[in-house]
Amino acid sequence: MGFLIELYKTLSDAIYFNLIKDDRYLLFIKGLGVSLKLTLYAAILGIIIGLLVAFARMTKNKVLNKIASLYIDIIRGTPAVVQLVIIYYAILGSSSLPKIGVASVAFGINSGAYVAELIRAGIQAVDKGQMEAARSLGFSYGQSMRYIIIPQAIKNILPALVSEFIVLLKETAIAGYIALDDLTRMGDIVRSRTFDAYTPFIVVALMYLYVTSILTYFLGKLERRMSISD
Amino acid sequence: MIKVVNLHKSFGDLEVLKGIDSEIKKGEVVCVIGASGSGKSTFLRCLNLLEEPTKGDIYIDGVPLMELGKNINSLRQRVGMVFQQFNLFPHMTVMENVTLAPIKLKRMLPEEAEKKATVLLRKVGLPDKDNAYPNQLSGGQKQRVAIARALAMDPEIMLFDEPTSALDPEMVGEVLQVMKQLALEGMTMVVVTHEMGFAREVGDRILFMDGGVIAEEGTPEEIFDNSKHERTRAFLSKVI
Repeated sequence: MGFLIELYKTLSDAIYFNLIKDDRYLLFIKGLGVSLKLTLYAAILGIIIGLLVAFARMTKNKVLNKIASLYIDIIRGTPAVVQLVIIYYAILGSSSLPKIGVASVAFGINSGAYVAELIRAGIQAVDKGQMEAARSLGFSYGQSMRYIIIPQAIKNILPALVSEFIVLLKETAIAGYIALDDLTRMGDIVRSRTFDAYTPFIVVALMYLYVTSILTYFLGKLERRMSISD
Repeated sequence: MIKVVNLHKSFGDLEVLKGIDSEIKKGEVVCVIGASGSGKSTFLRCLNLLEEPTKGDIYIDGVPLMELGKNINSLRQRVGMVFQQFNLFPHMTVMENVTLAPIKLKRMLPEEAEKKATVLLRKVGLPDKDNAYPNQLSGGQKQRVAIARALAMDPEIMLFDEPTSALDPEMVGEVLQVMKQLALEGMTMVVVTHEMGFAREVGDRILFMDGGVIAEEGTPEEIFDNSKHERTRAFLSKVI
């Protein structure tokens, strides 16, 4: 009985000091907002870069090809946190862009490399006979891509793209390295005030899990829908 | 209609076609037979430049194919092709498969293209599959849709690349029947096939390929009954 009372007191203290006192729960919500915004901007930029790089990778132009694969190799071969810091201090730190803008560019550039590879894989997974059939009917390469290959590739790409953005959301947890107040950093800020490491980070973990669970749910729906006409 | 002169094709160091000379006349049904790896399919795929010849010339109505450059697309509209693996577009219904090319390439109105597709689908024996997707069809049905899709462009010549080789035995007949009908209507056809019965019955001329060259050619009687070449006889004794 005494043990239970002790536990209750510990828990309610933890919740009070980490969430209620000074409206600290607002910090977490604000942090989540920043993380989501960052993920959204980076995702949009990542798709744009990914499309351009994927097509650069698939053209016959050797120079474009080299540049694109060099970009992909550099991004995939170095830690995201290092890329973030380099882009922040060396490239964008001197500009007047707000921190979230800098971080969005950095994560967008990072995500673009992975998205480019997803798109390329999705297009190359379409059976070679499809292109031949389209060409044999008289369609040009471009028309064949547009009417035949891309619509089929999208089915391969979309689910993988959603997975990539789930990864991206979790990846943005390193944004604190450039002192951006994202969800993870808010956990750290609360920890430094309450000297309690467990509670704020368990709250942070639950909030990430909540969002990724929603995304995973939609991913499952999307995958089922995509497989209907196959 | 098609004239092939000294056609060579290599894949890397592997020389698949070693000098083919042939002519296909309007209304003629030419069947190409031979063992696997003899170059039959490569020869056929060169005729609409799905494979680019390494050397030699192909003329269609006197126009040299190799000099067409970008105009190859308009030429391909006049040459229909049917593949071993059907290659129907899986994200489109049967009707969309058949009408896509006429609508996009010939600027046909959708209603007009559908009317035409309906006639063609009835002709290949599939009057009630308009809204089905390819994965809902049997192999034989898929191949018949593929034939209708090629015919929708009003080709002057049809190329068939082992059209029945991927089919279950009980479905071979229905596809050959459609092809026979097409031949009777006077379509110019080049058919790469292992169906010797079809070649003998429908072919006007048989090309026997061996080792990248046309080893022997002639009427079905000349090839199947009175072959002059040892290699032809050896091949036929194995497949018939």
